[in-house]
Amino acid sequence: MARKTPVSPNTSAPGDVPFWRRNRREIQFLILFVVLLGGGFTLISLNWVNDHVIEPFTGGIAKASGVVLGAIGQPVEREGTVLRNARFAVNIRNGCNGVEAMLIFLAAVLAFPASWKSRLTGLGLGILAIQLVNLIRVVALFLTGVYFPRIFDTSHTVIWQTIVILFGVMLWIFWANRFAAPAEPA
Amino acid sequence: MATPKAEKAAEKRPVRSWPLRLVRNALLWLVPVAFLWTVFTPVYNRFLLGSAQNLVRLTEYPSVTDLLRKDNHFAYIGRKDFPPTRALVNSFRVTDVHFHLLMVGVLFLSVPGVPWRRRLENLGWAVLITIFFDIFLIFFYVKATYAARLGTWSLAHYGAFARNFWGLGQHLLDLPFKFSLPFLLWVGFYYQDLTAAIRPKPAPARPAPSS
Repeated sequence: MARKTPVSPNTSAPGDVPFWRRNRREIQFLILFVVLLGGGFTLISLNWVNDHVIEPFTGGIAKASGVVLGAIGQPVEREGTVLRNARFAVNIRNGCNGVEAMLIFLAAVLAFPASWKSRLTGLGLGILAIQLVNLIRVVALFLTGVYFPRIFDTSHTVIWQTIVILFGVMLWIFWANRFAAPAEPA
Repeated sequence: MATPKAEKAAEKRPVRSWPLRLVRNALLWLVPVAFLWTVFTPVYNRFLLGSAQNLVRLTEYPSVTDLLRKDNHFAYIGRKDFPPTRALVNSFRVTDVHFHLLMVGVLFLSVPGVPWRRRLENLGWAVLITIFFDIFLIFFYVKATYAARLGTWSLAHYGAFARNFWGLGQHLLDLPFKFSLPFLLWVGFYYQDLTAAIRPKPAPARPAPSS
């Protein structure tokens, strides 16, 4: 991943400084990010956590989506994480509850050098924004299933996953740029 | 040397921040990249299945695994040593494996203030890494299917550790790392650009003493 045109001014020639030292901050961030992400996903894959935290949380998302669908003239019945009406039914599972995007965002915010105040503010607002976009996604997918069932699969796995993850990434970049403290040069 | 007039004009010109330019560029690149990805998906699916099949066969003797294309998007996992009626042990959507290429393309092409040559060079490296990741993801999917999804056959051929290893490996690769790979790669290549764009906030101005 060596660059030909380093952005940061460097007093010594790139050849003199070892790769890991030259890219110390990137490597630190990436390792911490991977560890936090792997840890977070291992945690939510535990049965107890899934049954006592993730499932009720997903049920809450189903409930909120049901309320929104009802408000826009699409009354649905809810049973746990399943939403259904006479024409379509959808089961909100892991991967559709926004938890993945939240964990990626959380790992990225915690791994980036910033004050704890900035991190907590970023996490609070970011997670709220991600869940808002995810709510729009669930509602839009239900409507896609009702009116355009042929494009439901593509919409579900490609379009909306891309939108939610890209949104999370952009949000992090915005946070890092606006609210995170600039790191001291090495 | 800029004249004071030109400097004043430059000061008045609205300067979009780096992240806003990135978001604008990402929105502009989304449709062209999605179009390219859609066009190349059938070809890429064939390539992935062929490569992953070769990788799986490297780990088994005799070679019994077939990854068979069902249509432009789906594939079957087949085993030659199973009775013909049960030879197709599982199916999966190959297109779902590599939709993150879309995000890789959008993120790498959208970085503002970077020369095109460097942008394309970095994109090339990122796509190459993503291709290897995709092959490994299918490999893990096949192995997790054998280890944990074939009932008594899985129990007879894989121990508890192997079942957990392949199952957790597939879970981690398929959800967190598939989703975050574009971000990881982007940060790996553009971390310095991002941090260079972060400027210390100016100290808040003291309120003027009231008269």
